[in-house]
Amino acid sequence: MPANRPARPATEEPRLTVSRPPRRRLRRALALALPVPVIGLVLLVAGGNLLLPLRQVVTIEAKMASKRDFFQDPEVERLLMKHGFRVHITSMGSREIANQDFEGYDVVFPSGQPAADLISRERAEANRPALLYRPFVSPIVLATYRNYAEALSDHGVAKPQQVPGGRPMYYTLDMTAFVKLTREGRRWNDIGIERQGVHNSNKILAQTSDICESNSAGTYLGLVAFVENKNDAPNDETEAAAVAQEIKPLLVEQGLPGSERAETYLSPDGQSIAPISVIYEHQFLSHQIRHQAQKGGTDDERVLLYPSTRFVTEPQLVALTGDGARLGELVSEDPELQHRAMELGFRARNTNSGTSGNTAGDELIEFLTERHIPVPTTSANDTRAVLPPLPLLEQMIKTVGDCPERKGDVK
Amino acid sequence: MSGRASGLALRLVLCLALVTAVLTACSGDDTDEPVRLRVLASPDLAVLTPLLGELKEATGVDLRLDVRSDAETKAPDRDRYDLAWLSSDRYLRLTAESAVRGLQRTATMTSPVVVGLAPDVARKLRAGVPGGRLTWADIADAAATGTVRFGMADPRHSASGLAALVGVATAAAGTGGTLRPEDVSCDRLRGFRSGQTLTAETGPALVDSYVDHQDRANALITYESDLLALNATDRLDDPLEVVRPEDGMVLADFPLLLLDPSRRAAYDEVTEWLQRDSTQQKIMQRALRRPVSTTVTREQQLREPVGNALYFPDRLTVIEALLADYGDPNRRAADQVVFLLDFSGSMRGDRMTGLREAFADLSGADSTASGKFTRFYRGERLTVLRFGGRVLEEKTVTVTGPKDLKTLADTVARGGYGDATAVWSALDHGYRTAARELAAEPDRSVSLVLMTDGENNAGLTYEEFVRHHKALPAAVRTGVPTYPVHFGEADAGELRRAAAQTGGRMVDAAHSSLSKAFKEIRGCH
Repeated sequence: MPANRPARPATEEPRLTVSRPPRRRLRRALALALPVPVIGLVLLVAGGNLLLPLRQVVTIEAKMASKRDFFQDPEVERLLMKHGFRVHITSMGSREIANQDFEGYDVVFPSGQPAADLISRERAEANRPALLYRPFVSPIVLATYRNYAEALSDHGVAKPQQVPGGRPMYYTLDMTAFVKLTREGRRWNDIGIERQGVHNSNKILAQTSDICESNSAGTYLGLVAFVENKNDAPNDETEAAAVAQEIKPLLVEQGLPGSERAETYLSPDGQSIAPISVIYEHQFLSHQIRHQAQKGGTDDERVLLYPSTRFVTEPQLVALTGDGARLGELVSEDPELQHRAMELGFRARNTNSGTSGNTAGDELIEFLTERHIPVPTTSANDTRAVLPPLPLLEQMIKTVGDCPERKGDVK
Repeated sequence: MSGRASGLALRLVLCLALVTAVLTACSGDDTDEPVRLRVLASPDLAVLTPLLGELKEATGVDLRLDVRSDAETKAPDRDRYDLAWLSSDRYLRLTAESAVRGLQRTATMTSPVVVGLAPDVARKLRAGVPGGRLTWADIADAAATGTVRFGMADPRHSASGLAALVGVATAAAGTGGTLRPEDVSCDRLRGFRSGQTLTAETGPALVDSYVDHQDRANALITYESDLLALNATDRLDDPLEVVRPEDGMVLADFPLLLLDPSRRAAYDEVTEWLQRDSTQQKIMQRALRRPVSTTVTREQQLREPVGNALYFPDRLTVIEALLADYGDPNRRAADQVVFLLDFSGSMRGDRMTGLREAFADLSGADSTASGKFTRFYRGERLTVLRFGGRVLEEKTVTVTGPKDLKTLADTVARGGYGDATAVWSALDHGYRTAARELAAEPDRSVSLVLMTDGENNAGLTYEEFVRHHKALPAAVRTGVPTYPVHFGEADAGELRRAAAQTGGRMVDAAHSSLSKAFKEIRGCH
């Protein structure tokens, strides 16, 4: 790996100093931007248009997966710009982010802890520790359509969360029973999907993005492993290997994974392409919030299955440079950005409070209620899944996905 | 590092040179130079060429499409191209994983692979199916009888052909899951394939070929967009009816791939433009593909449900087996099956009824999906050899229509039982027939089905048969497998050995039916 600069504490970086010496990590931006002032000066003579090209905004080079939903939101872009940041995103799966080089990037933002751990472990080994920020969290969910949720409900595998005076938007999915359907090779037609006016002879399963590349798929693997291992995460290599072999047939049945899951889920043909997609709660909620705002009602056909065994993912912003650290701090601390995160369906969490109390969750509930969007309930009876330790999870991902070796594996 | 540094220096020099040369060329914001990108494009994308002028106007990025017929099946040359724009990258994801893994990828539009049927054929097929909802099995069945004569792109070269092949093979396997190696160990698409009368290397070439040969085909298997676009022209005698097979389809999402990461800024501009609603609208109108944008109002004909997506195999061995079995659509040699049927006295009664039913089922009476895929088909050559203590009768037909199947049925229905069971003499005779047929047509695929319900008690011993078999010409010895059907009091051990000796596989009918056993064998030869 080529040499990289150690991350500097944010305080060392003066804010937007015009005279700041060019740094290597901005090479690419500079290659484009450097000629601009020159031209600008020339044009000043011709057209007098000096101000625009000289405006100082730090462009953050970032790699991220599903959390680009946040950074690509126009309101978030506006707020960041107010603080002098523009974020240029290269998008790829979380595990893929950890697999590739970070050279030239200020931040990487994998959607969950495992990929972030891979990165910080590697940085620590290279003696270039990185700073981590956790601006918000979001549970892993199974997104589906009303027909399919009702068929699962009729079959006793899902249970609607009743809402007064409306059709349920949320269901609790009995994960053990659901995984059993897949294991038995049951098809949608077998559990009476035809009573819902749909014909589908495909096997019942939840589709994920590429298990070798994405955090949601890896997390779902961990969830299935937990359920199949009698509500326990595998504790050692032997156990992990056995469980991985055990669950592999369940997770590879979907064949070649399709492209971005949430996009597919929300597309008009989504129901035909994948009746159940593994996504994050925020992707669903932001869709409903948007739908409510634009059409005056929620999308009644799209509903969520909350696994009875729950897992909350913690996206981690890994700052690799001083600018990156300032961005990480900003999105974690700034009240406006934190509020906007909630409006985008994230469960915000305040990293300031050492106790990390769950008051932000209450805010989301309030926000949804105000907008007449049903609020998902978490039952105290639900089990909270635990992912296996990182090396074991990695081992299981490789076994199940037949993934190519990571760059760090071969030394 | 030094490469990057010198690249920077070069760019600076270039840009400064540009500044002095043409002042206005470099003005504006970040992407000031006119950018030209070399794009490896599949022929399915050529239809969008007229939009590229607007793209250039809006973004300053000039996409130069190099349309190549092998774009979807050959690893892209990353020195020659900055981007690749394909109808599907699935084949490359399996065959050239290292070349396409981790690339920036943007889906630009979608279209399912479906079947276009001439109106009279569609009417006829729908009439025979409950609710008129056609499946791939119904298409395969109609292809086997010659009712459907279809055009399909060569799956070895085109993503639409491969998607169609995967779709029909997935339906034939009938598991509801993704194809596994064991699902493709038998080629169940022979009947389907016998109906293919037109092919081409690419989707657009296939459409042209169909237009030129409407007398030779009455169906077209390709992207929905191609069918709708063709119907919108006046090139057809009758517009094709779009049939979305009930058991599922494979969807293409026309990805734009970034091959050269250094062209990232321009790529972002292009994908942003392509995903705009105004652009998506134009793509929909011009190419009749489904927009990826969720906010574009779809044209009426694109509001039809797309049909359930089938799981696409993720293992190269599966795709390779499918392609090898499907072979060259331009070179089709007829297949031949020699049925060696035990007509000793013990076959009288229920067993004979079962045998006749099995032949009736293979002749089209079996209405299950698996029956439709494994039935006898037009052009297939079939030999029925009845034996007891000696060969009682041998009859060969090439199926051209119902009358040939009736000839076979009559042969099987005839009485005249032998009083002994000369299993190995009959098999030996079968190999001589196979040798004769192969000598006449070396490309032909020949296999034997040996059905017996008793132990050998006349003629050659097993050892003598093996000696004869070893003396056969190599092409016959290694290329003609025997599939014994174990039934009644037959010696399973010896039959299994004969299967192993000839490269076949024994199928047990003791606990099922002859009909099921024959179905299991069909396609494995």
